[in-house]
Amino acid sequence: MNKVKNTSLHARKKRKLTNESIWGYIFILAPLLVFLLFTLYPILDAFIISFQKFKPLKTEWVGLENYTKTFKSSLFYQSLINTVVYTGITVPLSMLMSFVISILIVPLTKKKQNFFKAAYYLPAIASGVALSFVWKWIYDPLPSGLLNRLVSFFGVDNQNWLGSSNTAMFSLILMALLSSHGSTIIIYIAALLGIDNSYYESADIDGATFFEKIRYIVLPLVKPTTVFLLITSVIGSFQVFQNAYLMTGGGPDNKTTMVGLLIFNNAFKYFEYGQASAQALILTVIIGIFTFVQFKITGDNVEY
Amino acid sequence: MKQLKKGVAILLVMVMSLMAFTGCKKENAANDGNNDSTQKPTTTTAPNTDAQPTAEAAEPDTITVLLPPVSPTYQDYFDEWAKEFNELYPNLTLNIEAASWEDVGQKLDVQVQAGSPPDIAFVGAGSISKYIDTGLLVDISDYATEEMLNDFDQNILNYYRNGDGLYGMPAYAEVHGIGGNREMLEKAGIDWRKVQQEGWTFEEFREAIKKGVVKEGDTTKTYGFVFACSGVTAADYLNIFVKNAGMPDIFTKDLKYAYTSKNFLKLLEAMRTLIDDGSMPKELSSIDAGKRWNMFLTGQTMITGKGLSVFERSAKLNNDKIDANDGSAVEGSIKADYIILPVPTFFGNPMQAAGAIDGYVMFRGKEEPKAEHLSNVAKAMYFLASGEIAAITCNDLYISPVCQTGKDAMANVEKPEGKNEDNTKAAERLVSMISAARTDITPELGAKAQRIADEVMVPKFQALLANEITPQQMYDAVKQAAIEAFGEDGIVVD
Repeated sequence: MNKVKNTSLHARKKRKLTNESIWGYIFILAPLLVFLLFTLYPILDAFIISFQKFKPLKTEWVGLENYTKTFKSSLFYQSLINTVVYTGITVPLSMLMSFVISILIVPLTKKKQNFFKAAYYLPAIASGVALSFVWKWIYDPLPSGLLNRLVSFFGVDNQNWLGSSNTAMFSLILMALLSSHGSTIIIYIAALLGIDNSYYESADIDGATFFEKIRYIVLPLVKPTTVFLLITSVIGSFQVFQNAYLMTGGGPDNKTTMVGLLIFNNAFKYFEYGQASAQALILTVIIGIFTFVQFKITGDNVEY
Repeated sequence: MKQLKKGVAILLVMVMSLMAFTGCKKENAANDGNNDSTQKPTTTTAPNTDAQPTAEAAEPDTITVLLPPVSPTYQDYFDEWAKEFNELYPNLTLNIEAASWEDVGQKLDVQVQAGSPPDIAFVGAGSISKYIDTGLLVDISDYATEEMLNDFDQNILNYYRNGDGLYGMPAYAEVHGIGGNREMLEKAGIDWRKVQQEGWTFEEFREAIKKGVVKEGDTTKTYGFVFACSGVTAADYLNIFVKNAGMPDIFTKDLKYAYTSKNFLKLLEAMRTLIDDGSMPKELSSIDAGKRWNMFLTGQTMITGKGLSVFERSAKLNNDKIDANDGSAVEGSIKADYIILPVPTFFGNPMQAAGAIDGYVMFRGKEEPKAEHLSNVAKAMYFLASGEIAAITCNDLYISPVCQTGKDAMANVEKPEGKNEDNTKAAERLVSMISAARTDITPELGAKAQRIADEVMVPKFQALLANEITPQQMYDAVKQAAIEAFGEDGIVVD
């Protein structure tokens, strides 16, 4: 009798589960298919291609050749160093600037907040190619160039901004610093607005200064946001491609060749998809290691 | 009602799921030739098929074409040309897709790698080796008739040969050279007509561009010579000049890498002196093609490069706008008549013009195409590369066609008003000096040389122009890369 009851309960539970869950499964089907097709499949395919000499008609299996070639390539190491330097300078500075700008925006009225959020987000919706034209105009190497005219007020000689090894990387970093705050600022503002006013009121009663409030209230409470932004920014920065491609083409003397640009060139310029896939997977591993280390160092006491 | 909602929801989810797969469907009908895929030849090099219509060839067929704006008005004619082609071959449809110069290369490359390229694409003769390597570029010698091939200048056609195969039909042969502002040249005492006819040595050129420099205090108002050298354009500067320094090709006749010759080092030293003289800007490495043309039109340089015949047209259009007080004239521009000039020769070597031969190539898809389809594609290629279309295209570019039918058709095409006849003669003279085509350089050798050019030569050359390395350092870097790629025995040692 008990057995019959249990079976009946199980069947009902199963039916109930099915009834409750089926819609969920149906609705996650579309994004799941998109993920499988456009994310997981390309990754698995890239992994396979990294062991091949890819050709549209006849692909050859070459084992680890693409990896050994990559590890022997001095240009790959130079591009890695370039990417690390670019990331190491761009990400912290960019985040610091975004944080400061967010702190300045938060006390403003809603209307003013919206204005500044839109103004800072504008470059994010503008075409990268259009932006590169503007920046090329700014970096005009002749004395009549905008930035050259600006620096001449300070007695600095005419600079070949994008054409000299001494200034090309700096120019790309400056471009990134001044045109990529949009989403970071919006996320920081959301985090700052989420801090309850009672903390500040309590700090006021205790006589805390502005910087003490930042240090003891704001920074700890926005830490999850900071960690999230740091990790996503580092990942994004490691994959940087567009600025180098449009502004310098990796030159001069490969001083601005980033890993992303190298992968692009191998794939679309030389049709070396195998080597490009190998380099992309190596980059994935490097990004994974960096992300793990960042989580270890900064992720303590952070809950999402 | 609840059931209806559920039904709509299921339908939406199904549509979304299907949309995820849309675009993955392989549309390769064009490359199959027609809807009948049952009769397929075993190889692409099918038996020779003549151009005469047969019962089988009369089957309907669609030919897909991907074309950039080859000349200023080229893309305006697409509908007209497609209609004319269909009238000529009623069973054939020409489906032309227009693309910008910025997009066309990448678009084609992605399609090639996906195994579904268009039947015809516009590709420079210098780029065919990388497409041959994919196995998708079709040897047209089996599909184009002798009559078609004999219509072309054979040296120019040979640029599309590699080994035993022929992979394209040329649309035109242009010379990459330099060009000057007539008024400034005359002011500097340069007999440009004599230079057009007889050429000039590097020493003569160096002195001439020194005379073109105009200074206001410490600031240079006009440079003698500005060549676009930002990014990949630096390669043009080197490639055009190196031909006149005894190295007409990257490889010598015995297939040794040529740029390890001492002449290459001497050439680099010579090119550096032009900046040291103050005749060229020290910021040359970041002057792009747009900037240097702007400098030419605004009187900031006497001579510019890379120069093309069609620049005469661009300069004339701007002059007309200045005359008409049209606000769309280039800001700050002055009236400038463009004069075609040859590149100087170095160290007593003969003049070898840098030919830019562009034209139409034939692709196949992953699916084995039918022989009659390839034959139809050859007809379409010839239709685009010859006769009236060649005449219209070349006339638009201020150059002469490279096929007899195109030359004949020029009689019916309205010539550009006010065209400088000295320039026409100079361009023709330079085209006749285009170095002989090299069909013996294998795709593998070509790919290795291209790697050295992209990863060593251009980056180092930019550093040389920026005065960050010496000519000797650049030469050593190129030599080392060449030894790694071709071995000690594969390079020129002199």
